Amino acid sequence: MEKLAMNKPSMGKNSTQHKQAFDEPLWWGLFSAGGVCFAVLLPAVILFIAVLLPLGLLPAEALSYERVSSLLFSVPGFLFVGAVVCLPLFHAAHRLRHGMFDISVGNDALNKKLMYGSAALLSTVALGLVVAGMLG
Amino acid sequence: MDKSSSQRLPPLKRNWWLKHRFFKLYMLREATVLPLLFFTLCLLAGMVALLQGAESWQGWIAFMGFPTVLVLNLLALAASLFHAATFFVLFPRVMPLRIAGHSLPDKAIVAGQWAGVVAVALLFFWLFGRA
Repeated sequence: MEKLAMNKPSMGKNSTQHKQAFDEPLWWGLFSAGGVCFAVLLPAVILFIAVLLPLGLLPAEALSYERVSSLLFSVPGFLFVGAVVCLPLFHAAHRLRHGMFDISVGNDALNKKLMYGSAALLSTVALGLVVAGMLG
Repeated sequence: MDKSSSQRLPPLKRNWWLKHRFFKLYMLREATVLPLLFFTLCLLAGMVALLQGAESWQGWIAFMGFPTVLVLNLLALAASLFHAATFFVLFPRVMPLRIAGHSLPDKAIVAGQWAGVVAVALLFFWLFGRA
């Protein structure tokens, strides 16, 4: 009920106008795709990269500078970043936007631009880093 | 239409979700993206470090070992599993699968997705777990 209401034009001068929210399917699509990646890929990624690696529980050469560089700065690495960084970022942006609406923080029209804009910016940076590594 | 409905319903207070367990769990699920965001920023920093050279990469691994960073990332791991548990049960509701005229039981679809999580973990073990 609430979620339906948030994309309608605000009441007042435009209350009779029904604006079609043409972009919403895109955000929900990215949210779903990111949600699948967050659920299926991220547990293993976080466990190996952010827990086992810093604790020294992986073999020394497993994530050495040379090995990670060759794995990440490649076409599979580019796809990996897309699935592990970019799509989950849009998932997070969507959840944050709706969460902020739920607790009445800010205004949705601005939150929407901020959230999806930040996700797009960080995604571009992440993919750009992979491309820079491939060229460098 | 929305004019009349917003006249009928008073605006919700900010703490509306604290009044019922179901809504608290809903908000907790929404909040799973906060530690995820932290991990993602760590990962981006790691990619920058990797571009800068071997010394920076070692520095980044040391940074990931700081107790605060480690605890936040453990929280991200827990959040990803909680998110998975809530997300997987949605699949059979959104897209019920039918094979040869028989609908697949919800439990089988959920189990299949957990098998996916395990498969990815095994792939990571195959890539990084052995010397």
